[in-house]
Amino acid sequence: MSWKDTAEPVLTRMPAVRRPEGHVPFRRKLGWTAGVLVLYFFLTNVSLFGLGTSTDAFGRFRSILAGSQGSLMHVGIGPIVTASIVLQLLGGADLLGLDTQNNPRDQVLYQGLQKLLVVIMTALTALPMVYAGFLRPAPAVAQSLGVSPSTLQFLIFVQVFIGGILILFMDEIVSKWGVGSGIGLFIIAGVSQRMVGGLLGFNELLGRGNDGIIATWVRVIFGERELSGSLLTPAGIQDVLLGPGGQFQVGLLAVFTTFAIFGIVVYAESVRVEIPLSNTRVKGARGRYPVKLIYASVLPMILVRAVQMNIQFIGRILNDQWAGMPAWLGVYGEQGQAQEGLFYFLSPIQSPTDWMWFAGFGGGNEVWEILLRVGVDLTVMIVGGAVFAIFWVKTTDMGPEATAKQIHGSGMQIPGFRQNTRSIERVLEQYIPQVTVIGGALVGFLAVMANMLGTIGGVTGTGLLLTVSITYKLYEEIAEEQLMEMHPMMRKMFG
Amino acid sequence: MSSSDGGLMSSAGLVRYFDSEEDRGVRVDPKTVVAFSSLLGIFILMLNAFA
Repeated sequence: MSWKDTAEPVLTRMPAVRRPEGHVPFRRKLGWTAGVLVLYFFLTNVSLFGLGTSTDAFGRFRSILAGSQGSLMHVGIGPIVTASIVLQLLGGADLLGLDTQNNPRDQVLYQGLQKLLVVIMTALTALPMVYAGFLRPAPAVAQSLGVSPSTLQFLIFVQVFIGGILILFMDEIVSKWGVGSGIGLFIIAGVSQRMVGGLLGFNELLGRGNDGIIATWVRVIFGERELSGSLLTPAGIQDVLLGPGGQFQVGLLAVFTTFAIFGIVVYAESVRVEIPLSNTRVKGARGRYPVKLIYASVLPMILVRAVQMNIQFIGRILNDQWAGMPAWLGVYGEQGQAQEGLFYFLSPIQSPTDWMWFAGFGGGNEVWEILLRVGVDLTVMIVGGAVFAIFWVKTTDMGPEATAKQIHGSGMQIPGFRQNTRSIERVLEQYIPQVTVIGGALVGFLAVMANMLGTIGGVTGTGLLLTVSITYKLYEEIAEEQLMEMHPMMRKMFG
Repeated sequence: MSSSDGGLMSSAGLVRYFDSEEDRGVRVDPKTVVAFSSLLGIFILMLNAFA
């Protein structure tokens, strides 16, 4: 008996959001999407009950993991991403033995396993957050309730855990009843919020240190804020490019990088190899199958970042719990940032201030140390981007074999080749693997570059890449929805 | 080819096969989820305000 038979009763009975019966009108879909988004924002503003002081265990990964520190949405999409890394690796290495392409039972099992893993990961993420001192209970609240601090700690854990599960269900509502996916929505909501803040924010409204680009430069022009030198001196030019006082988010370089990344991603979305197709029965009916440069999309990138995030998370827990941690493993600063040792080299570059030693940044590390860290980050992101792209293509059935079956099944063939799945597959094999690897590596490279040069609002390269491509996908989906809405006939054709 | 081929939807690495989902197990109405989340949020806000 395989593990499937044993696990089936549990995995097929995981609680889920009900599916809509029949077609949901576009307006209703938008309603559900907007409603869930408002709910999400509301919950990010609900502080955990009984919470004293807290530090963000996600650190600067927060921008891609959504959620908000110290709120009900504290874990964000972290557990979901971690769970899918595990599944991608297992599935990519064929260890699960599930045929998700043809077998509906295996599809249900995969989905159930995925959900179970998310629940487990939510608990595994919340536990160290509460019990390793990232979220500390407030002694005063425990006293006034008449309970011990450990009871309060448990209450905080329960809240964080429930919040994590709610994210999973809210995502399911949007996926089934709304437009796009909830997770994508939460990511772009968080990133956009930061970008708008980074552009328009000002101190009088948000408190010190929250001046956006516009406010900063207006202050500089009106002499309220001084640059370190005139515009003709190197120090002045550095301030303009990297922002006054090393606030890279407001420098011109950040503005330039942000727009460049937007441009490159939108352009790269349109770069494709088109494979000509013709109908096997109807002469003259032709089509094309596009193999896009960013074939696997930007999503695998979040998985690589999450691997890095989890490594840093482990480092911080070790640092917190293990007093005699050797220096070669990691030396931590006051804000919980790795400054030396293995965990320093493994921590990704998040901003220009992490590495620009020639401009006086880099946190006081030696040049070779900084270069090694940049090298490690680039290697991890480029190789990791390619590897996860391959796994992604495999698990989402976008590989040559699955695509060939789809094309053949829709009655098309590649003109000049035999009319069978195998010959289509052989042609696709010449493109899809190569394009996947190149696309994955390119996206990884772009993400690192964007971080190194800085972005508006400090949203990180991955956050920016994800936002652009999720928005693009959302736009395509809305366009398709509207087309179907306007022409009911189309709906019948596409199902 | 429509994008909903095979009912596959994915986000942050989640792969979905809603089409082959059977209606065994607990099925929650989306309104229940929204109502529960809102009430939980309001409840915790009130706890924060009074405790």
